[in-house]
Amino acid sequence: MNENKILLNSVAMNEFEDEIEKIENTATSRINATPDNASHGLAKLVLTLIELIRKLVEKQAIRRVEGGSLSDDETERLGETLMKLEMKMEELKKTFNLTDEDLNLDLGPLGDLM
Amino acid sequence: MLFSLLSLILIAIELLNSLTVKKIIYAIIASNQSHTELSDLLKGVQGISGSTLYALSFNDISVAVSDFTSSKFTMNKEVAIDFARVIEELSESVTLLPIRFGTFLKSDEIINQLLVKHYDSFLQNIKQVENKYEFGLKVFWDYEKCSEQIRVKLESEDVKASDYFSTNTIHTDYLLSKIKKHRLEAALLKYVEQLIEEISQYLAQINPDCKFKKMVTNTIILDAVFLVEKNKKDEFIQTIEVIKQQNADLNLLLTGPWPPYSFVDIVID
Repeated sequence: MNENKILLNSVAMNEFEDEIEKIENTATSRINATPDNASHGLAKLVLTLIELIRKLVEKQAIRRVEGGSLSDDETERLGETLMKLEMKMEELKKTFNLTDEDLNLDLGPLGDLM
Repeated sequence: MLFSLLSLILIAIELLNSLTVKKIIYAIIASNQSHTELSDLLKGVQGISGSTLYALSFNDISVAVSDFTSSKFTMNKEVAIDFARVIEELSESVTLLPIRFGTFLKSDEIINQLLVKHYDSFLQNIKQVENKYEFGLKVFWDYEKCSEQIRVKLESEDVKASDYFSTNTIHTDYLLSKIKKHRLEAALLKYVEQLIEEISQYLAQINPDCKFKKMVTNTIILDAVFLVEKNKKDEFIQTIEVIKQQNADLNLLLTGPWPPYSFVDIVID
């Protein structure tokens, strides 16, 4: 960033650079679409949508548990399913070399997907 | 198999695109001056990668354009910075609405149609940003330290397994950890919302247009943009300094003045 644009800064420069790098990495992966990384981009898109659905399911499940409307058996099965789902997602993220920060979409004026 | 097929389709589309000369558009400009004066102004600013800028006009608005052959350029960070440089230089002389980086159209005719179709929206948006600067404010915190403080505050109402489950298994433990995580996230979000409320109250006299993005990363808890009248610039900066003094735990980064990147609300179809 042009230094004369910085009007006030109490952020340690290394911390600032780390955070900007994180944001830039997300943007760069969007800009540099090449034949070599097209399938990686598709995997990222698909996993992002799956992660969104997983988080929605998790939120709904927690609401149900907190509401006390589930039997012991249902709670047990729900816990087991959510746990397996999260483990499976971790496996897939490792396979495609993706991090949690990668699994998001910039929806322009609407903000980020997650 | 499906990925390979989709990849090939993407490659084919990319190849087709690279063979076409397009127009890249930079900004919608409020042009009170004559077409000749505007053309002279644009001649003094180089487009991306050394291309020549020219203007297309309709009534009192114009658009800054240059030719773009995608086979000649790679769309990367350097080109994006160069694109921002063009908008920055133009904004020093005219009121403008920056166009999102990477907006291409096929021909001058299509651009003219666009100006006619969106004329009223462009004019209205130009009036909104006229004589105003955009400023960006990023608020950082020490995630570990601050989330721990909030976690401690939550301890008093800490949830126990027995509140929800009559049995205790690995799966109920997992659900309990998720409940705690969601409660912490809700508390962090509430903290950020209170901060937004505080900033808005401090800035009430200056009355800028504001947009807030919460929890951009674990460390950047707030990414805000403000549209401030040019004659209130100093007052705005001083107020942000006061906010910083009142929130010693937070780190602030204030930047600007910028062209009104975040206050163009027109979607071109």
